Amino acid sequence: MKIYILVLLSIILSSPGVSAQQIPDVKLDDLQGKSFNTGLLNKADAKVTVLAFWATWCIPCINELSTVNDNLDDWKKKYQFDFYAVSEDDSRTINRVKPLVNGKNWDFTVLLDKNQDLKRKLNVMNVPYTMIIKGGKIIYKHSGFVIGDEEALLKVIKDNQ
Amino acid sequence: MHLKKIFFIALITTCSLSTQAQLSGGFESNSSVYIDDKKINLDQIESGNRFRSNTYLRLDYRFEKFTAGVQVESYEPKSLLNYSPNFKGVNLGTYYVNYKNDSLRLDLTAGHFYEQFGSGLVFRSWEDRQLGIANSIAGVRVKYAPFTPLQVTALYGKQRNGLGFDFTNSKVLGINAELDVANLLKAKKIKYAIGLNYVNRQEESNSNILPSSTWLTSVSGKAQNGGFSAEAEYAFKSADALVEFGNVRPDLQFDGDAYLFNVGYSKKGLGINLSMRRLENFAFYSQRNLAGNANNEGIVNYIPSLTKQHDYSLGNIYIYQAQPGLRFETGRNKAGEIGGQLDVIYQFKKDTQLGGKYGTNISLNFAQWHGLQGVYDAPTRRYKADLFAFGEKYYRETSIEIRKKWSPKLLSVVTYLNQYYNAKYVAETLGEVDANTGITENVLKVGKHNSVKLELQHQWATGELKNWAASQLEFNVGERWSFFALDLYNYGNPDPLKRIHFYNTGVVFKKDAIRVQTSYGRQRGGLVCVGGVCRFVPQSAGLNLALNASF
Repeated sequence: MKIYILVLLSIILSSPGVSAQQIPDVKLDDLQGKSFNTGLLNKADAKVTVLAFWATWCIPCINELSTVNDNLDDWKKKYQFDFYAVSEDDSRTINRVKPLVNGKNWDFTVLLDKNQDLKRKLNVMNVPYTMIIKGGKIIYKHSGFVIGDEEALLKVIKDNQ
Repeated sequence: MHLKKIFFIALITTCSLSTQAQLSGGFESNSSVYIDDKKINLDQIESGNRFRSNTYLRLDYRFEKFTAGVQVESYEPKSLLNYSPNFKGVNLGTYYVNYKNDSLRLDLTAGHFYEQFGSGLVFRSWEDRQLGIANSIAGVRVKYAPFTPLQVTALYGKQRNGLGFDFTNSKVLGINAELDVANLLKAKKIKYAIGLNYVNRQEESNSNILPSSTWLTSVSGKAQNGGFSAEAEYAFKSADALVEFGNVRPDLQFDGDAYLFNVGYSKKGLGINLSMRRLENFAFYSQRNLAGNANNEGIVNYIPSLTKQHDYSLGNIYIYQAQPGLRFETGRNKAGEIGGQLDVIYQFKKDTQLGGKYGTNISLNFAQWHGLQGVYDAPTRRYKADLFAFGEKYYRETSIEIRKKWSPKLLSVVTYLNQYYNAKYVAETLGEVDANTGITENVLKVGKHNSVKLELQHQWATGELKNWAASQLEFNVGERWSFFALDLYNYGNPDPLKRIHFYNTGVVFKKDAIRVQTSYGRQRGGLVCVGGVCRFVPQSAGLNLALNASF
């Protein structure tokens, strides 16, 4: 079996024309039950978009989203971008998502990645995990969140207007 | 073997043909060198391998409407402590080819895939590396939407157990249909949908009284109108043999069922949610004798514990685990669980007395779980449970979390947790525990890019372990570096030899999608739980290295 693996890996890694990662096509529901197709982010004219992967039980994630929410009005006045918080809560905690988002007065769109399909396809290992997409290309990835990281996020948004 | 060969030829052809293809992937490696110290020694049986590593490399290749991928896994020289012995050596973990055509509303997969039907109550396959769960189905899956409001999924295959060519002894068939009724009737304001699910396990046995096919079926409905939402699901399991410590008893067959309700209301600044569930003999595995196994092998349906999931270490000592199973033992009979949880989240407005300048947020959670009341006769293995009556109390939890931003630079989170844990029933050990835990987390932003975090925790508890104290200090320097030191101390343990400091210190480096963490210290023994599914880890000491990257 090992021989198959080696052959496969070498072919994959040596094949020509491999281009940078694009956003896979996954259909996610928002909190109103409206579905959003992540493939739309590949459109060349799509705005700079932030995807923040999070979960209701993850304290650093709540820190990140609360910090972003506090600054959102201010940032949106200055720059053009979309912000989506992608919940990785599974059915244990998924019912807490909507009360939490409303309870915290968050103003951005929240998408539900119920069985972690998007997370898996984008190779996101752990939450929090933040990425910025422009014209279908991932231009920024960051794993984890500590207070202060929002400045780096803002800088990438600013530099890509 | 033929199938495998054909599969690989197809996979390799797909990959090599593509000149416009796109490659993406992820790499994760977790390694430990277990080092004995004065208080903690590795078990004699385990001490032959002190260096252990779990490594995963995932590659996905996209070409137009096709995607193909593999995940290679390595557990060399041996897997980390207390992972299933089936995770050994180096081999493919998963492999698949997918064809997705939106204009045909078709999504086809051959090979390994993950899937969840509705809430997962009758079917969920997923991967959780921390828990050692990798229960993908290897076979064929078709997703098709004959018309917009209707989505149908059908799957057939064998369930992975170990590496990519190891399966449990059954064939699993699943069908799910979701109908968006509101869309069909063009309802504007109210949204409602129904779901139908069916899962069948075909497992041969030596017994002629045991049917080879066992099935689960469920019907679910959900509705949403403005801030209100409601969901309900009923599921039924056909009669299956009782399994006692891995022994299948064809002479004793029981069916089972499950009820799940959820109602919620929310508006800006307020969120309320109530979940209730009753389970009776509702655990389901893809191989009968795996029922209740400690390694989470062969799980077909997802039964999370419906309690708040905590992120703090002392909040995770007494964790409730859902009790779907059937167990006969005089004085400790179990047939399922009944209970619920309530969440209330409220934001005090800015510029009010309680809200302060930056607003104050408060989260309340209450959860209580019981066994099923009924008549049990352990010697004859007979029981009759009442439909909605609370039996023995298994668990109760009340928690309050207050999050307050004092200034743009300083944030505090204060948590108080009160727990009752019936170890006799939940962990099948002895006694009951009452625990009260207080936690504060304070984060101070220093300059534009740095921060300091201080966490202090204390737990007052009865039971075997008694009191704990814990603290953690973390320095985050710029975007890339974090340094941390933490200690959990079971100072109240009546046995002086067990009054151990579980200290840990380490460094984290992050750059783009690369994360490297190295730490040295001790790991508390106990349950590691994600989403209500737990894995037991023994206490250990040593050096750890975690690496992950995506591209």
